[in-house]
Amino acid sequence: MSDAPRAGEHPTVGTYVRVALVLTVVTALEVGVIYVRRLAPIVVPLLLAMSAAKFALVALFFMHLRYESRVLTFLFVGPLILASGLAVALMTLTGAFLVFGR
Amino acid sequence: MSTLAARSDYAREILHVYGIVTWVAIGIALVVGVALAWIIVRFRDRPGASRVPAQTRGHTLLEISWTIAPALVLLAIAIPTIQVIFRTQAAPPRDALEITVYGHQWWWEFRYPALQVVTANELHVPAGRPVALTLQGPDVIHSFWAPRLGGKRDVIPGRLNRLTFTAETPGEYRGQCAEFCGVSHANMGMRVIVDAPDAFARWVAAQKTELAEPAGLAAEGKAIFAGRACVGCHTIRGVSSGALGPDLTTFGSRHTLAAGLLPISVDNVAAWLKNPPALKPDAKMPALGLTDEQARAVATYLIGLK
Amino acid sequence: MMSADSSGRVLHAPPSALAGVETPATVLSWLTTVDHKRIGILYGVTGFAFFLLGGLEALLIRLQLAVPNNTVVSAQAYNALFTMHGTTMIFLAIMPFNAAFFNYVVPLLIGARDVAFPRLNALSYWIFLAGGLLLNASLLAGTPPDVGWFGYANLTSRHYTPGPGVDFWLLSLQILGVSSVIAAINFIVTILNMRAPGMTMMRMPVFVWMTLVVQFLIALAFPPITVGLIFLMFDRFFGTRFYDVAAGADLHLWQHLFWIFGHPEVYILILPAFGIVSEVLPTFAKKPLFGAPVVIYSGVLIGFFGFGVWSHHMFATGLGPVADSAFSIATMLIAIPTGVKIFNWLATLWGGTIRTTTALHFAVGLVGLFTIGGLSGVMHASPPVDLQQTDSYFVVAHLHYVLIGGSLFGLFAGAYYWWPKMTGRLLGERLGRVQFWVIFAGFNLAFFPQHYLGAMGMPRRIYTYPADAGWTAGNFASTAGAFGIGVGVLLFIVNAWQSLRRGAPAPADPWDGRTLEWRTSSPPPAHDFDTIPPVYGRDSFWREKHGPRRGAPPTASHAPLHVPAPSHWPVMIALGMGIAAVGALTHVSIVVIGVLWTIWGIVRLALEHHRTHAHADQTGVLGLDHRKMAMWVFLGSECFFFGTLVATYLAYKGRSVVGPAPHEILNIPVTTVSTFDLLMSSLLMVLALAAVQRGDRRQARLWLFGTAVFGLVFLGFQAYEFTEFVHQGFTMQRNLFGSTFFVLTGLHGTHVAIGVLWLLSLWVLALRGRLGVADAVKVEIAGLYWHFVDVVWIAIFTLVYLIP
Repeated sequence: MSDAPRAGEHPTVGTYVRVALVLTVVTALEVGVIYVRRLAPIVVPLLLAMSAAKFALVALFFMHLRYESRVLTFLFVGPLILASGLAVALMTLTGAFLVFGR
Repeated sequence: MSTLAARSDYAREILHVYGIVTWVAIGIALVVGVALAWIIVRFRDRPGASRVPAQTRGHTLLEISWTIAPALVLLAIAIPTIQVIFRTQAAPPRDALEITVYGHQWWWEFRYPALQVVTANELHVPAGRPVALTLQGPDVIHSFWAPRLGGKRDVIPGRLNRLTFTAETPGEYRGQCAEFCGVSHANMGMRVIVDAPDAFARWVAAQKTELAEPAGLAAEGKAIFAGRACVGCHTIRGVSSGALGPDLTTFGSRHTLAAGLLPISVDNVAAWLKNPPALKPDAKMPALGLTDEQARAVATYLIGLK
Repeated sequence: MMSADSSGRVLHAPPSALAGVETPATVLSWLTTVDHKRIGILYGVTGFAFFLLGGLEALLIRLQLAVPNNTVVSAQAYNALFTMHGTTMIFLAIMPFNAAFFNYVVPLLIGARDVAFPRLNALSYWIFLAGGLLLNASLLAGTPPDVGWFGYANLTSRHYTPGPGVDFWLLSLQILGVSSVIAAINFIVTILNMRAPGMTMMRMPVFVWMTLVVQFLIALAFPPITVGLIFLMFDRFFGTRFYDVAAGADLHLWQHLFWIFGHPEVYILILPAFGIVSEVLPTFAKKPLFGAPVVIYSGVLIGFFGFGVWSHHMFATGLGPVADSAFSIATMLIAIPTGVKIFNWLATLWGGTIRTTTALHFAVGLVGLFTIGGLSGVMHASPPVDLQQTDSYFVVAHLHYVLIGGSLFGLFAGAYYWWPKMTGRLLGERLGRVQFWVIFAGFNLAFFPQHYLGAMGMPRRIYTYPADAGWTAGNFASTAGAFGIGVGVLLFIVNAWQSLRRGAPAPADPWDGRTLEWRTSSPPPAHDFDTIPPVYGRDSFWREKHGPRRGAPPTASHAPLHVPAPSHWPVMIALGMGIAAVGALTHVSIVVIGVLWTIWGIVRLALEHHRTHAHADQTGVLGLDHRKMAMWVFLGSECFFFGTLVATYLAYKGRSVVGPAPHEILNIPVTTVSTFDLLMSSLLMVLALAAVQRGDRRQARLWLFGTAVFGLVFLGFQAYEFTEFVHQGFTMQRNLFGSTFFVLTGLHGTHVAIGVLWLLSLWVLALRGRLGVADAVKVEIAGLYWHFVDVVWIAIFTLVYLIP
């Protein structure tokens, strides 16, 4: 193959299925969490963390980023971080965070 | 409309920082310009002497120092900048005169809520007392700018923007809309008239006095005004209450018409009345089909409104 | 000048044939060319034509302002003139000029034979042409846009500007954006993955580094304005509420989206000129660039921090003192790496042996004039001062000092520097120097007085001014200067014409150059280099000629030379896009035709070299496949696209004036099922890829089809959801929530649909037995796209549906 895998690894079908299972479970947890009253004060950070975890799992395993050259990670994660920062800045400037928790 | 002649505290604060940045800019420009010219002359290739110079690749200490030096210069600009930002955007004092500014295409509406006064295009303010403008816009984005009294602030529909200043010297100061707002953006001028406190009190009183009944040509003008579409757009206290165009109750006490377009005179007002879009492209006020005599009559009436 | 390398081998210089292409220069060959050199020339010539048009618009503007109360043009015409002038100069002149040099020179500078995707390169040019023609078609239609090149909402709403002018404008900008982003991805992959052996990143010429930074800026800054324009387009065409104040919209949104693009855009405009100066000064001072690594790092820093200063264009809009201060400080910080470059350039010249060629004149001119423009920029960085200067002629002076004194002067330097390489002829030096001084004098006369005009309170974008404002003398001088610039441009045309007709033939290396482009003939052959040049360090060619050399040169490559074949699909695709845009202005059936035409063209382009053996392995210097790298860059760009959409959704959350609110109408249980479906589709996708990679054709067909089916199921759920909402009266016109929700999820759904079509195409190939192990990378990049679309949905599901 022409790309440069790290440590010569390549995930097995088993790995993929396990990742899919985790994604399913986390999704179920996410949906469940919003119905639990006791968690209401921390529901937003909880949801953000869970969706970030799913995001990472898909990127690292399904998109193979864990096994790829660091160049590709940089090409994707750099803009991802910058875009997230800009999104937060945009929301702050337009007063979005004053509305959250209404 | 000079930005370099301050007539208010706000303008003065700005001018202070303006001076700093200008001298810094001129200084650096001279240094770079002289260095550049000198280098070209000094190291110019003489014909027949194409030597290869020393292939210097860099000098770390030099590069560090010319990174730090600009940083220090910028610090000298940043500190007064931040101070002035917070001082000039602080909440206005309690005794400030509150005025609401509405930017329309292409004229200015001014309301004094505490004084129950409404006027257009010419803003009267007292000298020596803080004035707190709240900028609102019913249509598109405009920008309120009277340079001698301070920087500009945009009028943004859906937002309330603020501009606070204390004018120092009585006088008449020109202003103009400074955010492109459509065809006649260039024709959206204004006047800010700074009155001594007693003159201001007189002006306020005059805004609220009952208008005298006009006579002669002016009376004819009033009849034409009251009988036509004019009443649908303009307010003249006791005569009409239209809200689409400028309040004309004390039109005669103003110095210019149509947002600073022309000085007020019977001829100019009549010309405007006959065909507003000809003088102010795309003006929302249509040509009303007035004859010359009718226009002069209405003009005489309007100029008599003091 | 030298035209032999140090081993005495003479580099051949064929008689001047433009771009030195082997094939005859017919119209058809130009329409189907994929040669980077020809494409560069196309960009240059087309850009120049638009530049002249924009210059004409400028002269009309200046004629109108020469005296007070002038009547050369009407108010409406004037407003259209400055709108067209700004839009044309930025998007149809400077950017294409930059592209001309990227295209022609960058592959030569890195020792490559072309760019990574030659047909996409051609596509970028033809799409650019379509966009430029569309914008100017508005002139022919008599309805040019007249809202300023920055088109602030809500002046641009259908209510305040009903005519089609704004529609021409926003459609052509969208098209131009597509052109630029495709080219950006192309050049990023080229620069990273196609460097000659031995050319490490730090050995690359500074012009290549600046190009690389610019491409990232383009890839990441265009999505936000694309989104802003989509919002405007939907407001104007479909009645959504993005910029509708009565519905609760915030007019700052347009300005933020515009300037999040607009500020990086100014660096996109200037960094190439900085790169050119960084090549020209060392060449004509016979010294290396002083502190080249620092110049490179400062360029990268400028690019990165350029994303953090945009609201300095909004100091008058009432952001509040904290935001004002933050952006002020950030803007001042950016001035530091910019200033550092100026000093590095001065130090490059210091101690050199300076040959005062025309190219050097323009490069030195940039150093001086950009300093002035940069300093007025520093003044603007202070909000109090800016509140007097913004929207006045002071900032008009600033922007022209940096864009003409900076960008244009840099481009002229590049023109005089690289003309011999591109045409095989020399431009006249004597006429060149005259041209320089005429433009220099004209430019300063035109724009220096504008600082004074602004200080005297003259606002910008006004079609006339009163006689008693004290602005008359400054305006008259400015107009005179503008005509001086015009004369200067004419002189360049004369010089160019004379050079092409009877200019002195240029050797391969007329300047005793330092970089690799001088190592091949002037102009180069179609395949650029007979053998890939050895790289001895930064300024590799200089080292080869004069030493010192670092590292032994690698052995010559014996791989067969592959010259990319011409293709007519780029023109066809661009034509389809143009037709679709015209349809948007006329009738929806034409949109459908245009879209179908475009899709057909894309499919044919994609399959054109499906069997071409030379295209099977596209591994580059970093050990990565070009196509894979390109997809990851594209996904980075998509992070900005969806990030902007999501940010807008969240910014507008809770601001709708009327209902319904999200919790009242979103169906979480049903959406949970569709989310699960999309997640599982990703699993099927990786199984499909694994099957292709191991040659299991049966399973490949099965999983590819399965993924597509799961995608269709997701779309089915979405169609159901949308229909339900519309039945309940919840449409995208209903309120802010409706507008942001439908556009966000609708665009995501469009991405899914495109993915489904892509997967089905691969499935069809697989059915026909045309998807083998060697084609695995094609499935891999489809998979990356598919997983990304899934990942975006993960974010949307949480942020839109779940978060209360």
